[in-house]
Amino acid sequence: MKELDKLSEGVVRFLARSNSRRGVLATIGGVITGGAMFPALPVARASGPAAGSGYDGVTPQSTGNPMDPGDPASCDYWRYCGIDGFLCSCCGGSASVCPPGTEMSPITWIGTCRNPADDVNYIISYNDCCGKPACGRCLCNRNDGERPMTRPQLNNDINWCLGTSTAAYTCSTAVIIGVAVKEGNG
Amino acid sequence: MKSVLALILMSTAAGAEPAPGVANEARAKMNWMLHCQGCHQPDATGSANGAPGMANDVARFLRVEGGREYLTRVPGVANAGLDNAQLAELLNWTLGTFDRQHVPNDFSPFTAEEMAAGRARPLVSDAAMMREALRNKFPASEEGSAGGD
Repeated sequence: MKELDKLSEGVVRFLARSNSRRGVLATIGGVITGGAMFPALPVARASGPAAGSGYDGVTPQSTGNPMDPGDPASCDYWRYCGIDGFLCSCCGGSASVCPPGTEMSPITWIGTCRNPADDVNYIISYNDCCGKPACGRCLCNRNDGERPMTRPQLNNDINWCLGTSTAAYTCSTAVIIGVAVKEGNG
Repeated sequence: MKSVLALILMSTAAGAEPAPGVANEARAKMNWMLHCQGCHQPDATGSANGAPGMANDVARFLRVEGGREYLTRVPGVANAGLDNAQLAELLNWTLGTFDRQHVPNDFSPFTAEEMAAGRARPLVSDAAMMREALRNKFPASEEGSAGGD
């Protein structure tokens, strides 16, 4: 116990010798003010990923399948080559599933996209999900192979939530429905 | 035992039998997906106020005068982004796949030349009118045969 007393006394005396009282107050004041200012500094908050969609709260996703590479929450994902709309992957659904409470449109825009993993062209159906207000996240507008309104069969601005009980557009999926054969010119 | 085997072989053969006038079934199916099914739906049942349904129905046009020509001139066919040969194949495949029961026994498959002649005179807003006019010529006795499996 005596040893502890001696140690405490030594430490306190050392502090008293090496610090002025005003100096201590200035240091404490600086720490408090600096600490309060720190969160307001314009530094990256790291809430969004460096790569990917760039939308707040949307983290990178993966299919977990090496033959289906890329981030389904990013416009660059291979299945989205002809997409126009909000990604359901960013809206509570996935690249092939509608968010809860929405209805998948049976009338769709259909095209092909090349999968970089196997260099095969897959037939992709861009089914809309309908019935909730527009999701507003991850707007993608790649439109590879799209044609103007004068070619309505190849224009993706016509069919928005047709064939569903409501015409309220929520987001878009990209469902693989087949494999394109080489002989075709579609 | 032998007869059972023969039966199995026969049924397999019947299932794989290609539709007349279809050179490449995989290509025809792909063209159906890319050029038709977005609006006509995968089972050709069509969409309300949009593309008409074709399942168990479309080949009946072959049985009335002017119907065969009509099929080469409807907007979806005439304006499809396909060459005449693939368009003929696609139409033949559609008839055989979605309405085999109504394809006449003496049906001769559509040819590239026939498609070229039809799409040179495409129907636009008059397609629906012509469809109704042809429909009125359908024999009433055939109504009950629609359905199938």
